[in-house]
Amino acid sequence: MKLLGIFRFELAYQLRRLSTWLPFAALAVAAFLFVRGAYLADALYADFFINSPFVIASVTVFCSLFWLVAAAGVTGEIAARDVETGMHPLTCTSPVSKTEYLGGRFLAAFALNALILLAVPLGVLLAVHAPGLDAEVVGPFRPAAYLTAYGFLALPNAFVGTAIQFAVAALGRRAIGSYLGSVLLLSVAYGGMIAVMYFLQRQDVAALLDVFGHIYITSDLVLGWTPIEKSTRLIELRGVLLRSRLLWTGAGAATLAFTWVRFRFAHHTAVPLWSRVTRRRGAHAPTPAGSDAARPPVHVPRVPRTFGPALYARQTLATAWTSFLAIAKSRAGLVVLAVIAALTVVLLPQNLYNMGTPLLPTTAYVLTFLTTPLTDPMTPWVVIPLLIVLWAGELVWREREHGLGEITDAAPVPEWVLFGGKFLGLALVLAAWMALLTLAGLLIQLRLGYGDHQPGLFLKVLFGLQLPEYLLFALLALVVQGLVNQKYVGHFVALVAFALIAFAPRLGIRHNLLVYGASPGWSYSDMRGFGASLGPWAWFKLYWAAWALLLAVAARLLWMRGMESGLRTRLRLARGRFTRSTAGIAAGAAGLVLTLGGFIFYNTNVLNRYTSASGRMERSAAYERRYGRYANLPQPSLTGTSLRVELHPRRRAVEIRGTYQLVNRGSAAIDSIHVATVTGVRTGAITFDRPARRVVQDDELGHRIYALARPLQPGDSLRLGFQVFVAPRGFRNRGVTAAVVANGTWFMSGDVLPAIGYQRRRELLKPGERRAHGLAPRPLFPSVADAQDVTGEEGGGGGAERGSVEAVIGTDADQVAIAPGVLRRTWTEGGRRYFHYATDTPIGNEYAFFSAKYAVHRERRGGVPLEVYYHPGHTANLDRIVHGARACLDFYGREYGPYPHGYLRIVENPVRRMGAHADVATIDYGQGFALFNPENDLRGLDFPFAIVAHEMAHEWGVPYAYAEGAPLITESFAWYAAMGVVEESFGREHLQRLRRFFRQPYPIVPIRQSVPLLRAMDPYAAYRKGPFALYALSEYMGRERVDLAFRRLYDAHRSGAPPLATSLDLYRELQAVTPDSLRYLLHDLLEANTFWDLKTERATAKQTAVGTWQVTLRLRARKVTVDPAGKETEVPMSEWIPIGVFAPTREQGADFGETLYLRMHRIRSGPQTITVTVPKKPSDAGIDPYVVLIDLERFDNVEKVKIER
Amino acid sequence: MELKIEGVSKTYANGVRALKDVTLTIPAGMYGLLGPNGAGKSTLMRILATLQEPDAGSIRLGEIDVVNQKDEVRRTLGYLPQEFGVYPKVSAEELLGHFALLKGIGQRRGRREVVEALLRQTNLWEVRKQKLGGYSGGMKQRFGVAVALLGNPKLLIVDEPTAGLDPAERVRFLNLLSELGENSAVILSTHIVEDVSELCTQMAIIDRGEILLEAEPLGAIEEMRGRIWRSVIEKAALAEVERAHAVISTKLLAGRTVVHVHGEAAPGPGFEPAEPDLEDVYFSTMAGHIGRRRAQAEAVA
Repeated sequence: MKLLGIFRFELAYQLRRLSTWLPFAALAVAAFLFVRGAYLADALYADFFINSPFVIASVTVFCSLFWLVAAAGVTGEIAARDVETGMHPLTCTSPVSKTEYLGGRFLAAFALNALILLAVPLGVLLAVHAPGLDAEVVGPFRPAAYLTAYGFLALPNAFVGTAIQFAVAALGRRAIGSYLGSVLLLSVAYGGMIAVMYFLQRQDVAALLDVFGHIYITSDLVLGWTPIEKSTRLIELRGVLLRSRLLWTGAGAATLAFTWVRFRFAHHTAVPLWSRVTRRRGAHAPTPAGSDAARPPVHVPRVPRTFGPALYARQTLATAWTSFLAIAKSRAGLVVLAVIAALTVVLLPQNLYNMGTPLLPTTAYVLTFLTTPLTDPMTPWVVIPLLIVLWAGELVWREREHGLGEITDAAPVPEWVLFGGKFLGLALVLAAWMALLTLAGLLIQLRLGYGDHQPGLFLKVLFGLQLPEYLLFALLALVVQGLVNQKYVGHFVALVAFALIAFAPRLGIRHNLLVYGASPGWSYSDMRGFGASLGPWAWFKLYWAAWALLLAVAARLLWMRGMESGLRTRLRLARGRFTRSTAGIAAGAAGLVLTLGGFIFYNTNVLNRYTSASGRMERSAAYERRYGRYANLPQPSLTGTSLRVELHPRRRAVEIRGTYQLVNRGSAAIDSIHVATVTGVRTGAITFDRPARRVVQDDELGHRIYALARPLQPGDSLRLGFQVFVAPRGFRNRGVTAAVVANGTWFMSGDVLPAIGYQRRRELLKPGERRAHGLAPRPLFPSVADAQDVTGEEGGGGGAERGSVEAVIGTDADQVAIAPGVLRRTWTEGGRRYFHYATDTPIGNEYAFFSAKYAVHRERRGGVPLEVYYHPGHTANLDRIVHGARACLDFYGREYGPYPHGYLRIVENPVRRMGAHADVATIDYGQGFALFNPENDLRGLDFPFAIVAHEMAHEWGVPYAYAEGAPLITESFAWYAAMGVVEESFGREHLQRLRRFFRQPYPIVPIRQSVPLLRAMDPYAAYRKGPFALYALSEYMGRERVDLAFRRLYDAHRSGAPPLATSLDLYRELQAVTPDSLRYLLHDLLEANTFWDLKTERATAKQTAVGTWQVTLRLRARKVTVDPAGKETEVPMSEWIPIGVFAPTREQGADFGETLYLRMHRIRSGPQTITVTVPKKPSDAGIDPYVVLIDLERFDNVEKVKIER
Repeated sequence: MELKIEGVSKTYANGVRALKDVTLTIPAGMYGLLGPNGAGKSTLMRILATLQEPDAGSIRLGEIDVVNQKDEVRRTLGYLPQEFGVYPKVSAEELLGHFALLKGIGQRRGRREVVEALLRQTNLWEVRKQKLGGYSGGMKQRFGVAVALLGNPKLLIVDEPTAGLDPAERVRFLNLLSELGENSAVILSTHIVEDVSELCTQMAIIDRGEILLEAEPLGAIEEMRGRIWRSVIEKAALAEVERAHAVISTKLLAGRTVVHVHGEAAPGPGFEPAEPDLEDVYFSTMAGHIGRRRAQAEAVA
C-alpha cells in the first residue's frame, strides 16, 4: 500500500526534525503556564479544581489557537516540500496516484499535529502534579477529563486546522501557505463569529460557527457552569458542541476534497493568470541573430561611484520600496489588508450598539475599535502581528529564496542598509494599512450618515499612536528572522515572542519596563482630550524604541551574509562589523535604554509606589492581620462633614481641609479613635477638639489610632480635623492617575478622605487568596439571615449610615465644580471660582466631586430643582435625560412617595462608558451616553430614557444591608420601577420592546443553576430575573400592590438606622399585600429558583359556520426548581396562565397584531389542549405570550396558527 | 591587480576538508580553475567573493586583505555564482538597475547609461522589458554576467558558468567572457576542460581541496608533447590495457574505445603518438603523472 508507505516515510522523516518538537515543547510550556498563570487564580477564587475537566478543556481550546499558528510550518512543509525543494519532477513521475500522494501526506500531517497537541495534556499534567501548588485546588486524577478534552476539542481542531493549512500550502505550492491558511482561518472564524454575535445577536448561531470551541468554553462553560460543575462535570459531545464539531469537521473534509480536485500532480509552470489569458508574447524570445565575434570588446561606461551616507540612503530607500512592493503585491499583502479593511467597514457598524441601541460613529469612538495595543491579543486585530511575522520572514528570506542571496551579499552594501531597507519596507506596508484603516473609518461614518468627520484625529491616532505600536513589533520580528537564520524556526520564535508579549500580564509580568513594546494606554475623549495620557505612553515607547535600536544593532552585527551560518563564525564576523560608528550607535542606544529606563523607573517605582497584584494582596492581608482585631471595636458615627476643597485642574492637584463631626451612638464610652487613611494620598496631621495622643500612625497600611485623654461618652460628640493633599508625582506603570485633570475632574470621597474605624472592604475576599495568606475564611457576602447585624459599611452610598456634608469647593475660573448638596453661593476670588454646597438631607459617606467646563440645564419639576451638567457638545440625549427625570419625578412621586431630597442633579462624568450611577440626589452618567442614537433604533426603543428611569428609581432606594439578596431591593427594584415609567410614558407596546431586549441572552447571560432571588447576587438575578419576577407579580396582582409593598419598605427603613433593609424585609411586605391565591407565585418567584417551561407545540384554527374562528392549542407545560448544583426538581403545576390569540402584525417591531383573545387559563403540568373562539382570522397563538413568567426558552411560547379547512 | 592566495584552508562543520593549504597567484587576465565536481572550486570562489570564511590563510587583492576588508573587496568585485535565481516578476532592466544601485552607482542617469550598455553588451537590450521569469537559461546566465559587470570590477569571479547551457549559448557566453579578461582579473571555475582551453591564459587544477597544478595552458600542453599515446581498442581489451599501461583517459568513439596513455616512451604496438590537448594535461595531473601528486609520490618514494 503506497499510501501507507508515504505516510510512514513522512512521519519518520518529520519525527526526526526539530520543527516538529519545537512546537510540541512550546505547547507544553504554554499549557503549563496557562494552568499555573491564568487558571490558578480563577480556581482559587471560585474554588474549583485546577485539574477539573473545565480547566483542561479551556486550556486545550486556548492552546489549540496557539498551535494553529505556532505549528503551521509542520503541515506546510509536508504539503509543499517537494515543490519547494525542486524534487517534484521526481515525485510526480513516480507511479504514485494523486490520492495516495495527497492522502499519505495529509494523514502524516494530521498524525503529527495530533501528536503535537498531545503536548497540551502533558503540560497540564506537569502543571498539576509538579511541586508548588496549593494542594487544596488539586482534585483527583481523572483520565476521562484529559481524554474528553483531547478527543472532543484538540483532535477536531487538529483536523480542521491541518486540512485548511494543507489545502492552502498544497494548492499554493508554498510551505508558507499553511501559515497564511491559519491566519485566514483565525480571522474568518473570529470575524464571522463576531459578526453573527453582534449582527444577529445570536449567541447560539455564533457558537455553532465556533471553529475551535472558543465560545463554548468562554461563554457556555465559564458563565453557565457553577463552581461545582466546573470542578466535576465532564464535557460532553452533544448539543451545540457536537453540532459545531460536526460542522467544522465537515468543512475540513470538504476542504480536503477541494484540494484533491484542484491539485495538479504534474510539473507546474509559474505562469501568472493574466498571461494565460493574454498571449504569451516572446516568453522565450529567440536570441537575436548576428555574429558575436563581430562585436567590439566589452565596454562599460565608467560612472562615478561614491560610497557614503548619500548612497546608503538611496540604497536603503530603494530596498524599502522594493520590499514594500514585494509584500504589497504578494498574496498575503495589500489584497488581504484591503479585504480586512472592507470587512471592517461592513462589520464594525454592527458593533456600534450598546444594549441594542445604535451609537453615533464619532471619530473618537470608531477609533476605539480600530486601535489596540500589541499587548492585547483578544481582538480581531491579532491578525496584524501575525501578518507582520509572516512578512518579516518573507522579507528577510527574499533574496535567498529567489537565489539572489549570493549576488546581493557580495555587493558593496552595508548590512544595515539591507536590514534598514527591509524594516522601512515593512513600515511602509504598515503605514499603508493605517491609511486603509483611516479610509475604512471615514467610510463607516459616511455609511452611517454621520457628518462630523475628523480626519485629523484619525491620522493623529492611527499614524501617531497605533503605527509605533506595530513598528516596534515589526522590528522585533525582522531581528528575530535575521538572527535565527532558519525561516520556519524564525516564524516560530517570533510567534513565541508575540505570545510572551501578549500574555505577559497573565504570566505575572506586569511592569511595562519588562514587556517589549508595552506602555500604559493612551486615552482620548471629548471632555478630556488626550489629557495627560500621552506623556507616559511616549516615555515608554521611546524606551522601547531605544531597545529596538539596540536590537537593530544586534541584527546588523549578526546579519546573515554569505554561507557562514555557524554561530562561532557569525560571532567572529560580528566582531569585524563592530565598527566605531556601530559601537557609537550601540552605546547611544544602551545609554538611552538606561536613562529612559531609569527615568521611567524613577517615576513608576520611586516617585510612585509600584505594587504588583501580589503586593497589593499582601498589603490587604497585612492590614487585616494587624488591624482586624479592631473590626468590632465601637467607633463614633460620622454625622457631619465640612470640607474646603481646592482643585487645581491644570496641576492635576487637589487639597482638602475638613472636619468630621463624630457622635458616640453606642452605649459604652469610646477611648480611642481609629482613622483609615487612603494610600497614595498625603494625609496630614489629624486634630481633635479635645486632647488626644497619636498611638499608631501606619501610612503604609493606612491606619492611625488616637487615644482620647477623656473618653467619648455615649451621646457625646467630637470634632476631627484633617488635611489631605493629592498631586501627581510623575507617572505610574499604568500611566497617570486621572482623578483631577485639566477638564473633567471626577473622584469619590472614598478615594481621598479618611474614614473612621477599621475598613472591612480592604480585606481579601477570594477564599483561595485568604487561604494563601493564612487568613481565616470569611463568606463573600453575609447571608441574608445574618444581615440584621450588617451595618452596611461596604455598601457605600446605599447602605451606609448617613450624615450631612457641607463643602466649599474652588476650581479654575472657567469651570464648574460640584460637590454634594444644594448650591448656597458661588463667587470668584483670586482668579478662581468657588462654590458652596450643603446637603439638606443626610447622605451616605460615598459621594462624588466634579469639575469641568460644564454647560448647565436648569428647571423645576413638581417643586424639585433639576439640574443637568453636561459637556457643551453633548446635547444629543439631553432632552431624553430631562424627559426621563421629569417622568420619574411624577411617577415615582406618586407610587413611592414624594421625591426625598431637596434637589436633583444629573452630571456627565468623564468616563467613556455608557453606564450611569446614582448617589443621593445626584446621578452621574458616562460621556459615552452622548453616543446613544435611539433615533436609529429599529426596535423603536428609547433605551437612554430607560437608563435614566432606572437610576432615578435608586433615589427612592431604601438603605440596605450589604448581604445576600441585596440586589433584589436595589437593582431589581430599580428596573422594575423603570418598567413602570416606560409603560406610562410610552405605552405598553414600548414596555414589551424593553422586556424583549431584557430576554435576550446578551449581554447578560441567563444563569439557570442558582439560588433563589431572595439570596441571589449574580448579574442575571439582579438585572433580569429579579425585575421580571417583580413585574410578573405586578401583572398577576396589580402594580399598586407591589408598589405599596415597596413604599412600606421604604418608609420603614428610610432613616438608615439599623437594622438595615434586606430582601427578607421586602418579602414580608410583599407577603402582606399578596392575596392567598397568589402566595404560590410569590414563593415560586422569590423564595425558590423556579423556571417555567411553557411551549405551544401546535396551534390550528378552523372557521366556524358563523364566521368566527376556533383556535386549538396543543400545549406542554412544566415547572422546575433548579439548585446551584444544577439539580432540577419538577414542581406540579395547576395555575392560571394567560392564553393569547393575535391577528397578523401590522406595525414594524411589534410582537403581535391586534389581540383577539387574552385570558387566564388553568394550566397543569404536561401536555394539554385548549380551544378558544375568536372573532377574526388568527395569526399567532400561544401560552403566556408576553413571557411574563420566567421561561428561558423565549421563542416557543407562541406559534403561527395553521389554518385548517 | 594581482590576487594572492596563501595557505588557505577550509573545513566544514561535517568534517569535509574543502580546501587544504591552497596557495595561488592569479594575475590579470582569464584564469581557469579546473577540477571535478566537489573539488573545492566553489568554496574557493565563495571565499574570494567574501561569502565564506577561510579557517586559515590569507588572501590579498592588490592592497586589500580579502578576509578582513570585505567592503573594499565588494566594491571591486563582480561575482556570478554557480547557481542563482531572479525575481520572476521583475524585468531585466529593473533588476539590473536595482543591482547597479547596490553596487554603488547612485546617480540615476549614470545608472541608466550603465544598464543600457550592459544589456546591449550581453545582447539582452531587445528583451529588457521582459519579465525575468520568461528568460531561457542562456539569457539568464548573460543577465548574471551583466550583474557581475556592474561597477567595472577589477576582480570577476565566475563559478561554473557554462553548466546547463546549450552549445550555441555556451559559445556565445564564452565569447562574452573572453572580452572581459581584457579589463580585469577573471577567475573562471569549471569542470569542463574546453572552457579553460578556449579562454584562459593561466590555469590551476584543483582536486579534493588541493591545487595539483598551476600552469599556462599552452605551455602545459607543449610539455605533454611526446608523452601522450593513443590507441583504439575493443572494449573488452580495456582491462588488459589498463593493467599494462598508465591509462589517463578513455573515450568511446563509434562503439570502440579510445585510450590515452601517459608515458615517456612509446608504450608499444597499437599505440600512436597523440597530439596532446588540455584534457590530457588535466587527466595526467589527476592521475598523478605530473604536478603536485607526482611530486608527492616522489617525495614519499
